[in-house]
Amino acid sequence: MPGLTFEDVSITYSTSGRNDRGEVHAVKNVSLTLPEGGTLGIAGESGSGKSTLAMSVLRLLPKNAKITGRVAVGDTDISDLSFGQMRALRWAEASIIFQGAMHSLNPVQTVGAQITEALALHVTDKWKTAQLRQDRVKELLTLVDMPADKTASYPHELSGGQKQRVMIAMALACEPDIIIADEPTTALDVIVQKQILDMIAKLVSERGISMLMISHDLSVLATACDQIAIMRYGEVIEVGDAREVCLNPKEEYSQKLAAAFPVIGDTESRMRPVTRHGDQPEDAEAKIDFADDGPKREVLLEADKLNVTYTSSGFKVRAVKDVDLTLHRGEIIALVGQSGSGKSTLARALLALQDTDGGEVRFAGEKLPAGGRELKAFRKKAQLVFQDPSAALNPKLSVYESIAEGLRIHRYQGDEAEAVAQALTDAELTPPERYFGAIPQELSGGQRQRVVIAGALALGPELLIADEPVASLDASVRGEILGLLLKLRKKLGLGALVITHDLGLAWNIADSVAVMFRGEIVEQGPTEEVLMNPQHEYTQQLLDSAPSIRAGAA
Amino acid sequence: MSASTQTPKRSPGSVTWARRRNAVAQFWREFVQHRAGLTGLIFLIAIGLIAALAPIIAPSHLLDVTQLLDQPKFAPPSLEHPLGTDHQGRQLWVRMVWGAQVSLMVGVAATLMSMLIGTLVGIAAGHFTGWVGGLLMRIIDFFLVLPSLILAIVLSAVLSRGVLTIIIAIGVTSWAGTARVVRSQTLTVESRDYIARARALGAGHWHIIIKHLLPGVMPLVLANTTLTVGAAIIAESTLSFLGLGDATQQSWGTILKNAMDISAATSGYWWYVVIPGLAIVLVVLAFTLMGRAVESILNPTLRSR
Repeated sequence: MPGLTFEDVSITYSTSGRNDRGEVHAVKNVSLTLPEGGTLGIAGESGSGKSTLAMSVLRLLPKNAKITGRVAVGDTDISDLSFGQMRALRWAEASIIFQGAMHSLNPVQTVGAQITEALALHVTDKWKTAQLRQDRVKELLTLVDMPADKTASYPHELSGGQKQRVMIAMALACEPDIIIADEPTTALDVIVQKQILDMIAKLVSERGISMLMISHDLSVLATACDQIAIMRYGEVIEVGDAREVCLNPKEEYSQKLAAAFPVIGDTESRMRPVTRHGDQPEDAEAKIDFADDGPKREVLLEADKLNVTYTSSGFKVRAVKDVDLTLHRGEIIALVGQSGSGKSTLARALLALQDTDGGEVRFAGEKLPAGGRELKAFRKKAQLVFQDPSAALNPKLSVYESIAEGLRIHRYQGDEAEAVAQALTDAELTPPERYFGAIPQELSGGQRQRVVIAGALALGPELLIADEPVASLDASVRGEILGLLLKLRKKLGLGALVITHDLGLAWNIADSVAVMFRGEIVEQGPTEEVLMNPQHEYTQQLLDSAPSIRAGAA
Repeated sequence: MSASTQTPKRSPGSVTWARRRNAVAQFWREFVQHRAGLTGLIFLIAIGLIAALAPIIAPSHLLDVTQLLDQPKFAPPSLEHPLGTDHQGRQLWVRMVWGAQVSLMVGVAATLMSMLIGTLVGIAAGHFTGWVGGLLMRIIDFFLVLPSLILAIVLSAVLSRGVLTIIIAIGVTSWAGTARVVRSQTLTVESRDYIARARALGAGHWHIIIKHLLPGVMPLVLANTTLTVGAAIIAESTLSFLGLGDATQQSWGTILKNAMDISAATSGYWWYVVIPGLAIVLVVLAFTLMGRAVESILNPTLRSR
């Protein structure tokens, strides 16, 4: 079984067109070795060149990419192979589990047909006839813990986790020696993520396959890999034993990546998300101040037996069932649950963006208005922060216009420019004048999320509902945004409901946690109590599934 | 704001305007790169100038049949009669120059009308869900399946004859396609988070439509406009050719109709047919080339194809 070797590999993209950036050096002088039967993880933030490096193995890069150095599968340098030889190598010797199974499967073919495609292209004695290939597909599906009769299913009939299993079955189809897994579990929720990671780990060790896994999440790699390399700006800055890299990282950057995902139960990270500025003491203060005026807290938002029902093609789906929730002024509640548990629907219902049936929502003691002027006044006080800041900002409007939008809607009487500048300063984008004319495309992900938050702050809200505010952001930015939320709570007395699937986030910033399962809140209480001593079975399952650097490396 | 003492203070409005000016300049730079589009634009400017200056280039007495009794009829193109003469001894080039006025005006005016209706209905159909959107869609479908030429003929027959009637007839029958395209783009924009964000900020329908949806569909509408002008010019020629235009006004379609009435093609008067036909083809081609160039600049996914 051959391993995989990168020797002094550099990859350059030549760009042209409107956003001509000249030569882009995506990967710079990378040397890495994946031994036979070993597992190597590459961690890095978006744009660090990790996917480019992985795709170079099968020569799947676009035409404008130029590779120098040596990429070798076993002893074969892949640049020496002819197109035909390359085709023979693809899938039969090395295969890829692509990122985002939703988009990598053909929606108009059954999954069985798609797995058979790989088999039919690489016919061996084992699957010579169509019947044998059918059997092989069934065998593969059983291997990834799926019922064999799913071969006749179309991708849209499967859940996210099942689609990812199909991708894995596909990658295993031709019994490859090397598997490249490109963010195999991103976009899956914790419980499914754990199942998939366990399965990959089992298959790889049983079959002695060498695996190269790419992820932005160090804790995922820690669970699945023996060795970890950390990439930044196209260069490998640290490589070593997984336990060593995770627990005793040498480079400052690796330390940050390792610290970005907190260990639940670790008092050091409680109320202290890791930020770049390193001003945690202030946040610790916030905690103390907050505890002091605890008893005087007044109720800001209250949901009472709230129900939301969708009707889809005749069926009634109860997305939210009899939910009671109380949020005090200046309190941060984390609403935790798997995807599809009804978290986002609940958030929209709390903001009167979603029709409800049964139950009611009270804001500062008043029932939510149904429309008209009262609703507009409520909109001023309660704001929403989105998961993906790039989608939440109109790409054609400048930062100034985006932030002033709310002020204009509410016919703000004072100095608009000053209010916008103040909101930007509150969201820590200083000096504010520098950002006025920028359009979202010119900003980084973290800056965009700050603009969205600034747009919410401009109206002087009392309540902030954040729907997965850091899920689409890089690890190093994550801490900054969370720190910002904590600071805003201290400075402006904001109450916040943070929706997340990430328990570490709850540990980082929330005062209390509500766990949502199939539309119901199954457990609710102070963060320490719920996370350290979970009562409901589902909460325990969530906690067990959360990947942890220590658990993986131990 | 102590920081503002260091950075030169510019008002946000001026920043925004500078950015827009830049965008226009950038657009122009890229448009110049498109040879075909630029050729089309220059050709159209030339035709537009000729049409506007028609009274100076070709004084109207040249069209007065009573003053042209001594002129030869059906004279082939020669130095004396550059594009030949027609069955009443009028110089064909004079008729072509005057005809350009009507053809271009109808093409542009009918397109504007069609775009206005199409954009409004399309955005409304995409933005308002429920029965309003459904009703609008059925109306769009109705105009889509209606044979537009027949509707235009009926309209021009019912209303009084003239250029305005032709504009209305073309405008009313050609907007449905645009509306469909605009609606689908509206639905795409509508599903973006920034619309949800605007809603959470308290925005009403008007704000969302003007601030977010309209700018979002504008590139499509612009590209569609240049392409529709060509179709409108052809439609005008068709209606005039069928004798539904104003007989006292010159237009390329009318010239073709006259040519057919005296069976110019079978009698060997080729210039009578070829010249107006060629003019229509060239103007439509110019608009199409320009439209393609605009489309490829505004829609980055079409690039390098």
